[in-house]
Amino acid sequence: MNAYFNNIKNGIQTVFEGMSISLASFFVHPVTIQYPEDDISSAENLKKTYKGQLGPMPENYRGILDVDLSICTACQLCVKACPIDCIVIDAVKCDKSKVQGTKAEKPAVKTRTCTRFDIHMGKCMFCGLCTLACPTGAIAHTKVFEMNKFQLQDLVLPFVSEDEKEKAIKRDSELKAEAAAAKAAKAAKEAEKTEEEK
Amino acid sequence: MNLLTDTLGMTELWANVVIMLIVCTIVFAVFALMSGITSWAERRIAGRMQSRYGCNRVGPFGILQFVADAVKLILKEDLIPDGADRFLYKITPYLCLMGVLATLVVLPLGSRAMIVADLNVGVLYFISITSIVVIGILMAGWSSNNKWSLLGGMRSAAQIVSYEIPVAMALLTPILIAGSLSMGDLLDSQGWLPWEWAAFQTPFSALAFFVFFIGSLAEGNRTPFDLPEAESELVSGFNTEYSGFRFAVFFMAEYGNVFLIGLSTTALFLGGPNLPGFLQGNPFLSVAVMMLKTFFVMFVVIWLRWTLPRFRIDQLMDLSWKYLLPCALIAFFGQSVFMLVAHEIPAITPITAIVVFIVFLLTMVKFFGRIRTNYKEQSIPVGLN
Repeated sequence: MNAYFNNIKNGIQTVFEGMSISLASFFVHPVTIQYPEDDISSAENLKKTYKGQLGPMPENYRGILDVDLSICTACQLCVKACPIDCIVIDAVKCDKSKVQGTKAEKPAVKTRTCTRFDIHMGKCMFCGLCTLACPTGAIAHTKVFEMNKFQLQDLVLPFVSEDEKEKAIKRDSELKAEAAAAKAAKAAKEAEKTEEEK
Repeated sequence: MNLLTDTLGMTELWANVVIMLIVCTIVFAVFALMSGITSWAERRIAGRMQSRYGCNRVGPFGILQFVADAVKLILKEDLIPDGADRFLYKITPYLCLMGVLATLVVLPLGSRAMIVADLNVGVLYFISITSIVVIGILMAGWSSNNKWSLLGGMRSAAQIVSYEIPVAMALLTPILIAGSLSMGDLLDSQGWLPWEWAAFQTPFSALAFFVFFIGSLAEGNRTPFDLPEAESELVSGFNTEYSGFRFAVFFMAEYGNVFLIGLSTTALFLGGPNLPGFLQGNPFLSVAVMMLKTFFVMFVVIWLRWTLPRFRIDQLMDLSWKYLLPCALIAFFGQSVFMLVAHEIPAITPITAIVVFIVFLLTMVKFFGRIRTNYKEQSIPVGLN
């Protein structure tokens, strides 16, 4: 008999509590982020249309790769680090300059520049090893994850444009010519010197 | 009526037929629209209770979703399974819908004047006509030649037969108060103030109100009593094999049932469309009050569905026979004794009513306190990234 009334009491109490919980969640904003409509790229953009409890894309999200060619030294360490060889770099000589990378405090010395820097995003497995290997931080993951293309070859991202490539090759041949001229001058000078000694 | 017979020269019989058709059309249109909107409201409310949006694509707030669903269902193939009892299989959805729809004959959409037919045995008619639905469900289960459907039908029959008894017993309490079986008299016996409603007249009528509400949930096959269509056990129960328009009819009957639970609870226990004295008889206001109360009860029904899990079949039977039926009997007996006492001391009636209502209000205050605490707990950011 006691159990009978306890059952009734428990039933009423649990329904009472359960209904207060479900009505409370009725007033809480929905958690769903309606993705294409809510801009999830940053916290400020998300807050404009979304009132729930979730945050935007995480800062360390590994989206598609991006290369900052101005600080790239064409050292090819990323090519060696890549486990599936989806990065291809062709490099030529350029004017010697110092570039300040995002990783190291000391500026790096740039003597070579890329004429081709292709990343096949179709093959890339977003492991992030290339970004670890890069001494200057030129290659880095972005937060972009919308990268669908209609053709497979469109997934090969060329970071060096044709103009830049031609420019670099032209400068390279000039440098080579200069170097050859300097070498010839030096050789001529040395020849002169040896002749004088004779 | 007079307009039709005098100016158009119709005989009285034809005039009656015309009026009947017009009234039927109005009632059916209200019912169909209501079941559609209920299905939309259910999905929206369910969504919000589960921290998501619910349908919000078709029309403003997704309100046209039920139209899209109906169009989709009508365009689908109407499949009849091999080995099915074709005749029974075909007529069953309409039988179910009829059982639900026929109750609207005695249920008021507004004041007493808006009852389609104010029968002097209205409540009795209401109880008996809802039993047609169980025949429909049993027939659907039997004729589909499917084990799950048959099990769903059998469960439904067992459930509705069990719950009919406490519901009918609980209904005796407002009948005692009104002293009549007619729906119009039941409405008139209640006032517009909450402590004049049948639900808060005495502690016994409050008990009867809860028994009636729980019982009608079970009769409407609503969660936590939706065993006939328990998805996890019986695929979809009695309507597993139905598709296309016939399924849409089942669906309409199911959601129309929610509307009926709201209407009957409001009319019998929650004061119906009664207005304060100086507004009495205003048709629009009485419809508005009736619908407001009905929508609130429907909200509670939906709210309960998304709060409580489904009962096991033995628990379901336990609840009906061991708990609800004794409660209904106590309510009936207590109300009878109370009325004898109140006959000697008339002042006791309003005092009890106000005390019951104050107790109810205090419970609600406690309830809203719990809601506030739970709301604060739930709105703490989860701190993901």
